[in-house]
Amino acid sequence: METRQNLRFVGHTTARKDGVAKVTGSAQFVHDMALPGMLYGKLVRSPHASARIVRIDTQAAEAMPGVRAVLVGGELNAKIGLYVRDKDILARDFVRYQGEAVAAVAATEEWIAEEACRAIRVEYEVLPPVLDPRQAMQPDAPLVHPDLEQYHCLKGVFCPQPKTNIAHQQKIRKGNVVDGFAQSDLVVETRFYSPPVQHVALETHTCIAQALPGDKVEIWSSAQSPFTLRNLFSLCFGLAQQDVRVHVPYVGGGFGGKAGIHLEPLAYALSRKAGGRPVKLLMSREEEFNTMPSRQGLFSHYKTGVSKEGKILALQIEYYWDAGAYADYGVNVGRAAAYSGAGPYQIPACKIDSFVVYTNKVFGTAYRGFGHLEVLWGIERNMDILACRLGLDPVEFRLRNVLMPGDTTITGEPITEHTGRPDFCLKQVAEAIHWQGWQSEEQRIRARSQGVARGKGVALLHKAPAMPPATSSAVLLKFNENGSVDLLTSIIDYGQGTYTAMAQAAAEELKIPLEKVNVPWDSDTAFTPYDWQTVASRGAFMGCRAVIAAAQDALRQIKETASQVLRCSVEDLVCENEMVSLAHRPDIRLAYADLVMGYVYPNGNAIGGPVIGFGRYIAQGLTHLDPETGQGLPALDWTYGAHGVEIEVDLATGDIKILQLATSLDVGQVLNPQALRGQVIGGVVQGIGSALYEELQFSPQGELLNPGLLDYKIPTARDLPESMQQSYVLTKQPDGPYGARGVAEHPMISVPSAIGNALYDALGLDFFQLPLNAERVCLALQQGGNEMPR
Amino acid sequence: MIAPLAYTKPRSLAEALELLQIAHSLPLAGGTDLLVELKKSNKRPALLVDLKGIPDLDELALTADRGLRIGANVTMNRLIESGELVSAFPALTDAAMTVGTDQIRNRATVGGNLCHASPSADLAPPLFVLDTQLVVASLQGERRIPISALWQGAKQNTLQPGELIVQIEVPWPGAAAKMAFLKKMRTAGHDLALVNMAGLLDPVQGRCRICIGGCACTPVLLPGTDTLYQESRDPDQLTARLLALAEATIVPIDDVRASARYRREIVAVFLQRLLKLLAVETKGWGRC
Amino acid sequence: MLNPLEQTIISLQLRVNGLPVQEDVPAQMTLLEFLRQRLRLTGAKEGCGSGECGACTVLLDGRPVNACLVLAAEANDAEIRTIEGEARDGRLTPLQQAFIEHGAIQCGFCTSGMVLSAQALLERNPHPGREEIVEAIAGHLCRCTGYVQIVEAIESVAGKGS
Repeated sequence: METRQNLRFVGHTTARKDGVAKVTGSAQFVHDMALPGMLYGKLVRSPHASARIVRIDTQAAEAMPGVRAVLVGGELNAKIGLYVRDKDILARDFVRYQGEAVAAVAATEEWIAEEACRAIRVEYEVLPPVLDPRQAMQPDAPLVHPDLEQYHCLKGVFCPQPKTNIAHQQKIRKGNVVDGFAQSDLVVETRFYSPPVQHVALETHTCIAQALPGDKVEIWSSAQSPFTLRNLFSLCFGLAQQDVRVHVPYVGGGFGGKAGIHLEPLAYALSRKAGGRPVKLLMSREEEFNTMPSRQGLFSHYKTGVSKEGKILALQIEYYWDAGAYADYGVNVGRAAAYSGAGPYQIPACKIDSFVVYTNKVFGTAYRGFGHLEVLWGIERNMDILACRLGLDPVEFRLRNVLMPGDTTITGEPITEHTGRPDFCLKQVAEAIHWQGWQSEEQRIRARSQGVARGKGVALLHKAPAMPPATSSAVLLKFNENGSVDLLTSIIDYGQGTYTAMAQAAAEELKIPLEKVNVPWDSDTAFTPYDWQTVASRGAFMGCRAVIAAAQDALRQIKETASQVLRCSVEDLVCENEMVSLAHRPDIRLAYADLVMGYVYPNGNAIGGPVIGFGRYIAQGLTHLDPETGQGLPALDWTYGAHGVEIEVDLATGDIKILQLATSLDVGQVLNPQALRGQVIGGVVQGIGSALYEELQFSPQGELLNPGLLDYKIPTARDLPESMQQSYVLTKQPDGPYGARGVAEHPMISVPSAIGNALYDALGLDFFQLPLNAERVCLALQQGGNEMPR
Repeated sequence: MIAPLAYTKPRSLAEALELLQIAHSLPLAGGTDLLVELKKSNKRPALLVDLKGIPDLDELALTADRGLRIGANVTMNRLIESGELVSAFPALTDAAMTVGTDQIRNRATVGGNLCHASPSADLAPPLFVLDTQLVVASLQGERRIPISALWQGAKQNTLQPGELIVQIEVPWPGAAAKMAFLKKMRTAGHDLALVNMAGLLDPVQGRCRICIGGCACTPVLLPGTDTLYQESRDPDQLTARLLALAEATIVPIDDVRASARYRREIVAVFLQRLLKLLAVETKGWGRC
Repeated sequence: MLNPLEQTIISLQLRVNGLPVQEDVPAQMTLLEFLRQRLRLTGAKEGCGSGECGACTVLLDGRPVNACLVLAAEANDAEIRTIEGEARDGRLTPLQQAFIEHGAIQCGFCTSGMVLSAQALLERNPHPGREEIVEAIAGHLCRCTGYVQIVEAIESVAGKGS
């Protein structure tokens, strides 16, 4: 689509549409909601990672005053799942992770529900858990899902392998790696690990569900994707979509953790059993860690062949994703991270096998970056290791291999001059941190004698929306009497600023002041138009495209009515400043306010009618991936970027202090500079959490040892880099709104790799495992290095 | 959720001590540890006796003759906000500053921090090295115990049912004494100590005290350090001997926060840093 | 004297956002539950229930506290301020305005507590430096913003006025 100069709203900092509601505390989250007659639901959770449920005694709980429903898995015969329907609403027969819900209670008071849960006796036969995805692939490994072949799955896209723990294997085949390795001057093998982590959205998962007469259901949920939720919910219970209504008000952060479907089926089942009273489920922080999904762990194995000139000739990769007990989004993470799985590089021969493997841990799901932080941890560390072995500067080595117009990706997608410029991003961050090459071993030795070492590192990143090829968005622009509009969408703005960007686009296109665009934070599948999901950095891209189309539709309606009043052709009308006028006679004009509810002549005759603009957008030109080769066109838009970082390491304690962190992203077009800066800084700091602190720790029996913020640390205001810079490359995305690309997830990706690379520069030691916490750094210094995962 | 219970707020110490005779009653100070426990554990007191209505426990006095007296109810932020205290007992206020967050420090009390008897209680190391005495009250009267006698084990104190810490008495360490506090956390934000450590060095009186937290089931005051110091004031020799002593005395464990090995490493690093600080500098935050 | 074990319901008198409030509450009810459930002041949120996240922060006699770790009974006779009392007659405070202008908000779940802690700081010290600002909000977890624009918003108010 065309890109324009002289934008009035788009490209400018404008205040968030939700600012006043949020600074005054009036924004209502599901967390805050209470309905008349509402019951409180609580869960009984498994203390074991793998066990057979021998019996559940609920008698005492049922007898307690105030208890209105007690539910166990045996009463429910419906599985849920996004891509593989593998999860019971409550565990039946077997529990597959510690923290899995096995029974639930709804009661008139929260504490009564808790007491009743304590009164439920569950007898387990404890089974040996399987906790490492590579062990889970061994032929003798216990099966997490012995009946895998009986589950429904999205055929042709995902392929669970019966009588194994493999939920999906994504293959990418390009060129011939055997020849590539044979031609290589140097072949290097490396292995990396990225642990499971938690999203830690500040609002924990919560929903209210009410079973209504006539098999209807009403749901209020802290969810990212009301329509996908509704669809999966309907499939689960065999209900008609139009009978299930999902409301999503303000949501306290998502980061992928609230995509899909989570607590809603259980809340509904409780409500149904309690005679239709609404039931609220609200996860405690401990349950959020223990019961709600996390980001998958990843073991990555690379074998890279390079020429002595520094060109990558062949790359063979195995990814072993620790899916946990259920496939959820994990299988699609394994798929998306495979088609992006070689990094933003031209690789003539590439073979990737990405295995998503069931284990007895809390299950994985989408998390900002959708697998890319994890794979780029390995890829971008691997690039530095290769450069070092070749005696090349790591920036130069990357520039020799980075994707350029004329190259093709590992799935066969041609790179054009419009695709974006990772090389520009890399150069910008290298300049920002004054990159001059690695320090010498003498410099490192000198630093060691002073107890403090400094180092610099860079890392590239890329990501495209990870979504099926045919996802779509729709928007309604509903005019009010005064010429203002309500913008109705089912994209969810849980903090990203999408609604503000969409309002900017609406004001821009409709030629009305921004204040006259109202975006209700109140998505409702019965009233707001369809949108696939709010994930994948697709919201602003697809949402703004739909807004632009809706505005054009509304203006057409306005002009049609105006052309009758002004007795002119529609083509001669232009819109500006809330007015429609004749292009050649600006004084002949009508205000929108006089047209948008229909035009009324002095004698009372009326024409036209309420103006409601409708716009939609569907991802175009994308294809499925060939199951055997992975070849195809998966990417709506690529967003490239790079981080450059300078750190200081306390050589005695292993503590890392980030002195500077520079980020460059090819965003195509900035829609709102302040909102973009907020997204970038927020993502970078979340990336610092993954880099330095965050890890779900499990006992050998599979018990999560740090299910809370006491022992799972995320960055605070004291943990920020001393300085952070952001810069942008503006390669217009031809079909992006105003040329923009998605950028919500990207700032987080490759922050760990840049820090890991800076650690190498500082210490001369390679790190292979995350997080780079003080203990790991300190012990590596003593042992002369961090071990590759076995 | 906290299960149903009764609550009362006595206006005098005598009244509070009476109330604490009731079976399944518990004293409530700042509540920042207790309320978390009531929500998460199966602890079910019948009665909470809120101590914050007792004026006797609010005293914070620094006098030339009696040293520092801290009422059990004094909050962390009250300690920190007393300019006099910051200059007289920097290790103590530095330690108080690292307890939780600003919101926690507005509630958490000195008495509560000690009674909780965490092995890594941040106030413990500075109070240990300062030869602190605790005034413990019960219906039978008052008794004084050295602070080291409070810990029985991890999160187990030696107080009898019905006993309360009412006052913390910190003697003047002497004009020449220097002190410092260090704490290892996992982030720069708020965290429990993986290791904390306080030291006091008084070249005039020949006193040297080191207390290490988080490396045993109680805070550990290194034994015989005065003698070591008196035997050799050579910094290198003293450091080496203290390192060996610390290494032999502490019994750290592997847990979710750190490995025993790393804790030992930090103890060695901190001990050296502490001795440097004591020789040259006693101010500062002590966050490491 | 009443049997203390029977004091399971507490007659509470306090001021909330300047207005007197009188309620009978169960002794085990936290201040956060009281504000949210009884008074329907839901600006303070429960993010963890254990004093780690700061989302439940309110001002108790002018000082920020975690309302999840205070019993409502402990707030008897106290002056409580919640986010709902900050804007008067629909007019935002300069700090609230600054949060909007500086893009210091994303999902909004931490915002109420952040604003109150920052407001308490500014009332205690109208011109705090960056260190003090960071210290005042260090007990508030924010997963969205990366804190920088929040610090900038508070700094912009700290720099103004006498």
